[in-house]
Amino acid sequence: MGTPQPFVIYPARRVITINPAFPFGEAVAVAGDRILGVGSTDELASWGEHRIDDCFAEHVIMPGFVEAHCHVMSGGLWNSTYVGYFDRRDPQGQLWPGCTSIDDVLERLAKAAADMADDSQTLLAWGLDPIYFPGERLVARHLDTVTGDRPTLVLHASGHLATINSALMDRCGIDETATSPGVARGGDGLPNGELHEPAGMMLAGDAFVDMMKANRSEQARWRYANEARNAGHTLLTDLGTTQLWDPDQLNNWKKVTSDPTYPARVMVAMSNLFGSAADPAELAELCVQLKSEQTDKLRFGIVKLILDGSIQGFTARISWPHYYKPPPGHIGNGLWLTAPDQMADLVESYHRAGLTVHCHCNGDEASEVFIDAVEQVLERHPRWDHRHTVQHCQLTTPDQYRRMAALGMCANIFSNHIYYWGDQHRDATVGPERAARMDACGTALASGVSFSIHSDSPITPLGHLHTAWCAVNRVTASGQVLGPDERISVPDALRAITIEAARQIKMDAEIGSIEAGKLADFAVLEDDPLTADPMALRDIGIWGTVLGGVLQPAQISDA
Amino acid sequence: MSTQRLPVTVVGGYLGAGKTTLVNHVLRSSNERIAVIVNDFGEVSIDEDLIVAADSDKLTLANGCICCTLADGFAAALMQIRSAGTLPQRLLIEASGVADPTQIAAYGHTPGLGLDAVVVMADAEQVRRQANDRWVADTVRLQLAAADLLVVNKIDLLDDASKADDLCDWLAGLSPGATVVRASRAAVPIDVLLGPLPASDAVDTPERPALERAAASRSHVVENLFESQTVVLDAPIAMPIIESLLADLPDGVVRLKGLLQAVPPASTEDASKTEAADTTAYLIEAVGKRTSMTPHPTDATQPPPRWAISLIAHKGALPPNWLAEGLARRG
Repeated sequence: MGTPQPFVIYPARRVITINPAFPFGEAVAVAGDRILGVGSTDELASWGEHRIDDCFAEHVIMPGFVEAHCHVMSGGLWNSTYVGYFDRRDPQGQLWPGCTSIDDVLERLAKAAADMADDSQTLLAWGLDPIYFPGERLVARHLDTVTGDRPTLVLHASGHLATINSALMDRCGIDETATSPGVARGGDGLPNGELHEPAGMMLAGDAFVDMMKANRSEQARWRYANEARNAGHTLLTDLGTTQLWDPDQLNNWKKVTSDPTYPARVMVAMSNLFGSAADPAELAELCVQLKSEQTDKLRFGIVKLILDGSIQGFTARISWPHYYKPPPGHIGNGLWLTAPDQMADLVESYHRAGLTVHCHCNGDEASEVFIDAVEQVLERHPRWDHRHTVQHCQLTTPDQYRRMAALGMCANIFSNHIYYWGDQHRDATVGPERAARMDACGTALASGVSFSIHSDSPITPLGHLHTAWCAVNRVTASGQVLGPDERISVPDALRAITIEAARQIKMDAEIGSIEAGKLADFAVLEDDPLTADPMALRDIGIWGTVLGGVLQPAQISDA
Repeated sequence: MSTQRLPVTVVGGYLGAGKTTLVNHVLRSSNERIAVIVNDFGEVSIDEDLIVAADSDKLTLANGCICCTLADGFAAALMQIRSAGTLPQRLLIEASGVADPTQIAAYGHTPGLGLDAVVVMADAEQVRRQANDRWVADTVRLQLAAADLLVVNKIDLLDDASKADDLCDWLAGLSPGATVVRASRAAVPIDVLLGPLPASDAVDTPERPALERAAASRSHVVENLFESQTVVLDAPIAMPIIESLLADLPDGVVRLKGLLQAVPPASTEDASKTEAADTTAYLIEAVGKRTSMTPHPTDATQPPPRWAISLIAHKGALPPNWLAEGLARRG
């Protein structure tokens, strides 16, 4: 069948294909943006005129990592200063050490303030997680010592709280006369600068709105993809952040992804998470239309729904006996964000349009409602291979996994939670037994449910080697193993971050494994994840990616 | 110019209880210029004949009303409303069918706004089932408990009056802070929903000034379930009288609103002779078990507002002249 164009052969220490029929190769050949083949250098050379590039001779090549659940604000937030507890690398490749004390946070803010030229500009920061600072609470009084008259807003890691300084309180008119329950007060009865939930945070006015709108810029989209490249990812799924009916947001996606140097493919989900101008049938129609116009780098066809809140925020819907040690005044269970009675109709609108529904379900009541809805809809409108996916899937029970397998549903499991909040889940949210079976990759595997694992970046940092490490080891931040029986093998974890993730966004014909004819999307690693100590999986260096045959070296700006 | 607060009415209740019908009813029946904030245009269908113009994030409605969504958050919706031209006289927030109205009501404490009432709708036929549903029992009970005014809607669908009485008693138990009113097709008299007097003198509309509107609400019978009483105040009134009135309102009172000049206790010996400078104008309100008394700045360049207290009660619940006699007795 014709002679292939001149092509490039990349010999490697090993090519891990994730194709069970041809699991390993010595080299991979790339013609244009596609994989010509994998095998030995000689086998590949026999295709014809070629060039051998030895740049990956010492590296291990895997399929590019596929993140099926993250958000474009993980690019936008880097407009603000990071003050989170854990080390985090920004999209420019600079490492920001975790702020592990209130003093660390203040020092970071002082430096950021000193670096700002304009005295009146508001200092914005993100990632504060007071759960790690038991005892003293960081409040306006602390911020004032380093920010002076400069208005300052620090968004908490949960996204549900913000702490502002006195200058911003003054500007927004927040004083002792405030009546909003969203304005927290200190022991002296005066507002202490902490703003709770949207009704409180909105009082910060422009500062808060500006922080949210930063996520819509072209710069945020570039940073989003740069971070992906640095972590070995070649596809990101923006799961429900973009308002696709807004031409500006859609056009920004089209603009950045049409630049040949843009270093990631992006699947942008349709979502009416934050309200919209249209009903589900219209959104389904729009999504189908966008799908017909999609490009290699900008994809459509999946829909995000949301049923409940978060477990660490005590707002996920969890069945009896509900929460283990909820905070005082807790209402007993979490919140529904969509009415369970509406789910079947919502799913039906998108299901009938041929789209794949991805529904946020943290608690097991939420996954039950979603599975019920899919079952009802399938009775009304049978459709094969829909791949409707339970997202987060954190407390999904074994019986639910069995139903998901029977219904053809997929799971995208939030494995990073084990590391970042596993200790809190064991000690406070759900207690030891249920914490041990959270994020149950082992059960998913045994039940025959296709599953992926995810970061939900910016909620936790993007990086599939770390996410795979969480699923393989189930080690918490305090170093304890949580639920050893749900651990999976490294090969299973590598499938979850590549072909299985591609499968649930229906891109597994094009990406997710290294096979002749697929897009040439690779993660290029410094070491071999199949021979490394599983506990060292997350420490494997990443050279960068190859995206559609184009080399995308990671940018790491520090030693 | 005015620092009077924009009154906020929250409309909550589970899916299908009639929230949207109520919002359309208010838009159709009220003379106020209303800004409606909804969670999602997909969930809410404003009656088409009320819509003058539609774009993706805003509906322009008849009578100067507008409708925005929470797509970009409450702060953004408020900015949009404030930049849309003539300021509204009331903010109506329709909560989603699963929202906790208490959380939505927190927006009513934004500077410049003042929470007027949390109206929660219940579907007379469905609410018992919903309040015991496997998934939403706690959500529905939380919503009912948040009400100042609990509207038992579709009451006409119940076969007999005793069923309706049982239901309303049961709901009153779940919503101890609320006044329970009955309705069909969400047709609650507008003065019951929004208060018997205009919230302030600033809400006059050219078509129907405050005085005329107040006179209309003095019609004594507000449809056939309610009646109203109004006392016009020709002198300032002693603060303890007002406090005592608000503290002891009988259950039959659905709503009370008043605009008055109050005299602090020290100078109450002869209230009628007190100089105006010693008095403060207040807006007093009661809905459900919630009462409030807030200073009401008046504009010296304008004619003084009409000082009066009005209430709406369930028909037959109060003796005639209860309000006038109650004030006289306390005086």
